Amino acid sequence: MRLHTALCVVAGIAGASASFAQTLPQTPGPLNAITDVPGIEVGHYTATNGAGGMTGTTAIIARGGATAGVTQRGGAPGTRLTDLLNSQKAVGTIHAVTLSGGSAYGLAASDGVTTCLEAQGVGTPIANGAIAPLVASAILFDPGRCADFTFRPDASFGANACAAATSGPVKMGNIGAGAGARSGGVKGGIGTASAVLPNGVVVGAIVAINSSGRTFDATTGAFFAGYIASSSDPIVSAVQVDPAADSQELLRATTIAVVATNAKLTKAQANKVAQMADDGLARAIRIAHGTGDGDTVFALATGAITSAPNINSIGGAAADALSRAIMRAIQAADAIHVGSCNVASYCEQFPSLCKR
Amino acid sequence: MTTCRQRAALLLLAATAGSAWAQAPGPNNAITDVPGISVGHYTGADAGTTVVIGSSTAGQGVGGGVTQRGGSPITRETDLMRPDNMVETMNAIVLGGGSAFGVSAASGVMRCLEGKGVGFPVGGPNVVPIVPTVTTFDRATCGGPPASRPDFNAGVQACMAAAGGAVAEGNVGAGTGAVAGGVKGGIGTASVVLPNGIIVGAIVAVNSEGTPYNSDGDLRGASFGIGNEFSVLTKAGGKANKVPASLPGGPLRSGTNAVVATNVALTKSQATKIAEMADDGISRAIDPAHTAGDSDTLFVLGTARVALANFGDEASVVTQIGSAAGDVVSRAIVHAVLAAQSTSCQQSYCDVFRSACKNGR
Repeated sequence: MRLHTALCVVAGIAGASASFAQTLPQTPGPLNAITDVPGIEVGHYTATNGAGGMTGTTAIIARGGATAGVTQRGGAPGTRLTDLLNSQKAVGTIHAVTLSGGSAYGLAASDGVTTCLEAQGVGTPIANGAIAPLVASAILFDPGRCADFTFRPDASFGANACAAATSGPVKMGNIGAGAGARSGGVKGGIGTASAVLPNGVVVGAIVAINSSGRTFDATTGAFFAGYIASSSDPIVSAVQVDPAADSQELLRATTIAVVATNAKLTKAQANKVAQMADDGLARAIRIAHGTGDGDTVFALATGAITSAPNINSIGGAAADALSRAIMRAIQAADAIHVGSCNVASYCEQFPSLCKR
Repeated sequence: MTTCRQRAALLLLAATAGSAWAQAPGPNNAITDVPGISVGHYTGADAGTTVVIGSSTAGQGVGGGVTQRGGSPITRETDLMRPDNMVETMNAIVLGGGSAFGVSAASGVMRCLEGKGVGFPVGGPNVVPIVPTVTTFDRATCGGPPASRPDFNAGVQACMAAAGGAVAEGNVGAGTGAVAGGVKGGIGTASVVLPNGIIVGAIVAVNSEGTPYNSDGDLRGASFGIGNEFSVLTKAGGKANKVPASLPGGPLRSGTNAVVATNVALTKSQATKIAEMADDGISRAIDPAHTAGDSDTLFVLGTARVALANFGDEASVVTQIGSAAGDVVSRAIVHAVLAAQSTSCQQSYCDVFRSACKNGR
């Protein structure tokens, strides 16, 4: 009730139509995935070493270009082309975002996405017949987990993820950039979710969660953001108790995400939506944005719906979709038990709460 | 007992006096005059990459900062350099051609440094080298798309080639395919040793939309020369010559990227402030600078051979280094333009403004 009141006040201040008011639960699109946003494709590439070690790359592609923004609040980021997304820079449209494991080494995966898109003729014309596919990127830290430290994504991971990209269902859990991810003592992974707003705007999110902080109460298993879950998401009660963060993981973490919408946004608006979407990360993970986290959230707007956007509605929905994507990631993640490599999963710890 | 303000005033006086009498370029007049700095180029057919490695006395990273004012940046790891973020030290900076593709050279530099055990420690023997990067589009390609662009292996080779001592200028490394306004651009470097022992060096890859020369054909940055540094210039200008138009600008088409280094230990915040002041050296030597189509990004490294507190209070020393860095950057830009050589489709400054350069150069 308090939430609804607050949202109504916000909507009133913003002068927004009441029909845009934020309601929970969100109504997902048919795939409950970021690919419900027309023009958005997702491809994963995953590598396993046979000893429980996994890493990978996820490419989120906007073949027709998307206006993009970013917010970078984690204290240990590894990024590419984020300066370009500042509102005052000249280029407003990018073609893909690469999320990858491998720490800063994994930024190489973006090279493969870039050349893959170039071969398909996707890019910004520069001069002399050259095009430049603009591929922003963020990475997470997973090297050395049940694997040699050099087991990491390279350019071929990006090329493979790009080649695998489709607008269909998106696999979640131990795949792509989330393959080697961990989250607050359990297995992390890839999650995605979407929401269809009453005015036809679609908002989707995809996340690779590799957080030092936890997403659920360690005793009850209740997700901190459980109150945001939709009818097609797992629903658990939202008892909120501060988690004890695993201090060993505090410096080796990162949650990276992309939110997308079919609304038409300016670059400044896309940056604002990214900032608001980041609140969904904060609601679902405690602690978030720590010194060792590379937490980075990108926003893409494909622009099919050309009516004036309600930024608060889109940003709020993006935050909720991101919270849901995080909970779905944690539930989709599989435990790893290979030899001496043992990583518990949420569903292993709380089987009665696990809904996939 | 002097107050801070009095000491600052004395320092300013000393600096002013130094600029008039005592300051001189280092022995190589290059960024490598800063202890701990090595430079390597990879030069391809019409594009290349340049790596600047900053090394502490322990062989590890050094404090750094960045300013990013061009409107078309293609960058990597600049978020990490913000003072609010955790990692305090950088291992190398890559200046590259190859536009969005050329960023891959940084991965080769990372691999090269990892092989030497250089990088941010992440447990056991494992390191993650911190290699912030900026690239620009190579315009000196005779009307076609670049036939070559720096890749992973280019980064490995540039890193393996990195050395102290003299630094090649002109059509090398990140300057291979560069154009400065309407003349051939390239790599330039310069240094200064201040009377108090602070050393400041810069290396610049000039690929600007704006021109390094004015409407009289004179190089804008030449007045910052120390002694007879630019004696090749006749000061007769190029009035008799036809001043070429700058190549058409546009998003992602150009950029002047630079690294400034000093032997003083710097925090990220101090390095960031110095970067902002050093960037003024681009503004003075190129006009217009920082256009919508420019990548213009300037990095600063402090190799920590001397403590900043040795030279006075923080604000004064940062200002002194930043001021000196601006002049060094302007001089490095002049060196780049003078060292650049004509290609089959892009004339050099000295070939365009023959009366401005002795012996055509």
